[in-house]
Amino acid sequence: MTRHSDPTQVQLTADGRLKHFLTTEGLSKALLTEILDLADSFISTQERAVKKVPLLRGKTVVNLFFENSTRTRSTFELAAKRLSADILNLDIARSATSKGETLMDTLWNLEAMYSDMFVVRHADSGAAHFIAEQVTPGVAIINAGDGRHAHPTQAMLDMLTIRRHKGTIEGQTVAIVGDILHSRVARSQIHALITLGAKEIRVIGPATLVPKEMADLGAKIYFDLEQGLADVDVVIMLRLQKERMSDALLPSEGEYFKLYGLTEAKLAIAKPDAIVMHPGPINRGVEIDSAVADGEQSVILNQVSYGIAVRMAVMAMAMSGQVAEQQSLAAKKLNDDNSEPSETGAIA
Amino acid sequence: MSTLTLSNVQVFDPSQGLNQLSDVVLEFGMIEAISPVGESPLENPEFNANKSLLIPGLIDLSAHIDNVSNETLAAAKGGITHLCTQPNSKPLIDTPANVSLLQRASAKANRSHLLPIGALTQNLAGDQLANMHSLKQAGCVALSNARAPIKNALVLRRIMEYATTHDMLIMLTAEDVDLSANGKMHEGPTANRLGLAGIAEIAETTSLAQQLLLVELTGCRIHFSQLSCGRSVEMIRQAQVQGLPVTADVAIANLMFTDLDVNGFDSTFYVQPPLRSEQDRQALLAGVNDGTLAICSHHKAQDIAAKKAPFAAAEPGMSILDTWLSMMLTLVNKGELELSAVVNASSILPAKILGMKEGLQLKQPANLVVVNQNAEVCYSADSITSTGKNSPVLGDPLVGEVKLTLSTGREIYRA
Repeated sequence: MTRHSDPTQVQLTADGRLKHFLTTEGLSKALLTEILDLADSFISTQERAVKKVPLLRGKTVVNLFFENSTRTRSTFELAAKRLSADILNLDIARSATSKGETLMDTLWNLEAMYSDMFVVRHADSGAAHFIAEQVTPGVAIINAGDGRHAHPTQAMLDMLTIRRHKGTIEGQTVAIVGDILHSRVARSQIHALITLGAKEIRVIGPATLVPKEMADLGAKIYFDLEQGLADVDVVIMLRLQKERMSDALLPSEGEYFKLYGLTEAKLAIAKPDAIVMHPGPINRGVEIDSAVADGEQSVILNQVSYGIAVRMAVMAMAMSGQVAEQQSLAAKKLNDDNSEPSETGAIA
Repeated sequence: MSTLTLSNVQVFDPSQGLNQLSDVVLEFGMIEAISPVGESPLENPEFNANKSLLIPGLIDLSAHIDNVSNETLAAAKGGITHLCTQPNSKPLIDTPANVSLLQRASAKANRSHLLPIGALTQNLAGDQLANMHSLKQAGCVALSNARAPIKNALVLRRIMEYATTHDMLIMLTAEDVDLSANGKMHEGPTANRLGLAGIAEIAETTSLAQQLLLVELTGCRIHFSQLSCGRSVEMIRQAQVQGLPVTADVAIANLMFTDLDVNGFDSTFYVQPPLRSEQDRQALLAGVNDGTLAICSHHKAQDIAAKKAPFAAAEPGMSILDTWLSMMLTLVNKGELELSAVVNASSILPAKILGMKEGLQLKQPANLVVVNQNAEVCYSADSITSTGKNSPVLGDPLVGEVKLTLSTGREIYRA
């Protein structure tokens, strides 16, 4: 009896344009490529002395971060400013909800300020989707990370990184190493990589951190880092959170690094021109050796600068999708209003 | 007490071997006669059922009731004549005074009969036994810890030993909360895709195995509430073959829905125990069809704010009372449940478990429901009586329209 709104469809207009950006799952190759192409074009504007483009002029963007994240929030803020939007940062983690206000109350209050876009980060999977279903039509939601579910802008900046360094995503073998279980980044990357034609996606880690259901998403599971790295074009290392030890998922950071930490010796198993990525912030000596993080194959800092361009791209596309949808609804309403008399026969 | 002739009813009660078009004569609330159509003396006021189905009234082994007058009306409209209410209501059912408060509220409402389930441990904390005997004396039909955990196996053993001494019915759930690990839905591909923490099947089955071994040791009569895994049904079946005094039920939600319904993060489908795989659902249906499992509503009304939140932040539970019979008859209509199994699982078996008179017996107070089995119904937030609009079937095409409900000889609902 499944009849619920499909999270992959809520983010599209009737004619298939992006109007929210909630997940990479279910988006077409053409649409993902459009995001990458637009982001590419923004990278060149970033290198100019005057970095602003007027695509979101007059629009109000609200950064709604229910979880702290200085880095992601700052890149969204910069992206919005470079699109000429007004931006409001709300540190919800320390304000409204801690005073007992519900998420819905917070939303209604913000809507009353006539915002045009919410950039949402929340600890609960599905939070961005929930908000997209509740907000007034015309307001775009950009998911900046919801629980373990999705972090689509991070995944798209990773796709852009791969494309710019390897020329294409098609045919690449990509390894994602570490805490796959808790990773919204890994889930969003897997969906995007599959749609964009990667040859093989491997998830590597201990069974406590790699759910067997990852195979249902199309990834190949490896428990051994050295086996998993053989012939790989792209290595994506994930951050290991300290609390994984207290949750009995791992014995210690030391043992984890011994088994799954990326060292120069282990990286040598991958293809010679393999690139190393990390969504940051990195734990040196826990999941990645400093020599690798700072080494020639590392593109970690490039990822950060591409992040702004990708966020500019999805914000611009979602806003334009919302505007187009509102215009087409208004046109339809006008059309319906005009056609009413003829239906009643008043106009012969 | 009703004096009434229900004419032209298709009387169906497998426990009494009844399946025929009949007239049912009620005198002062008692079933006086079930006779062939047209042969009964018709001085009584008549209720012409136009060949609608008449089955024994539903007995719900588990519901959460906070607003007695409203929810017992919802139950009456749903064909439920008796309603066991879990102890975690407000106030907690943990003292004889609170039991009597509930009984008085039920009597005043004069709808479906509330049967209080008392708290098994003090404050449902799972550490110290509640005053189990006093609660039984006060009228509790059973004792349970709702779904609150009893982590200490020694406490479980003592509960069973004490209950055996005083012949009490204990209702337990099977869930190792450490293994559940704050999960929000069934552990499987859907949970992984949605990034929601999963509850593994073993959270239920290891707990059930431990409790079955304790039953073997103590001989205590245990009813297991709201099983959700196919494997659990098999374990109950084996325990019964072995001769252990155990029974079990499944919530209607787990017969109708699966983890796939959580797609889209719809918090309506956030329930405890979680909706599991299609394979589990099929095994649970088989368990009902072969008489191993009773069905309960596991009704829990939630206000709109409690459900209007991201999935994991919402409150669990579904509002079921109004629609319970329609949901079961819809499963009959789809060929997934047999009608005789539905009557058995929602009335006959619960009566046996609670030690009540089962089915439509002559010279006994009438507990029955007349339902137009084939009538299409579609519920909306406005049409359901429960304060909880968190029904999983709003807008869905169902079958089964309740026409009349009698509980212990009282007419408690007429459409």
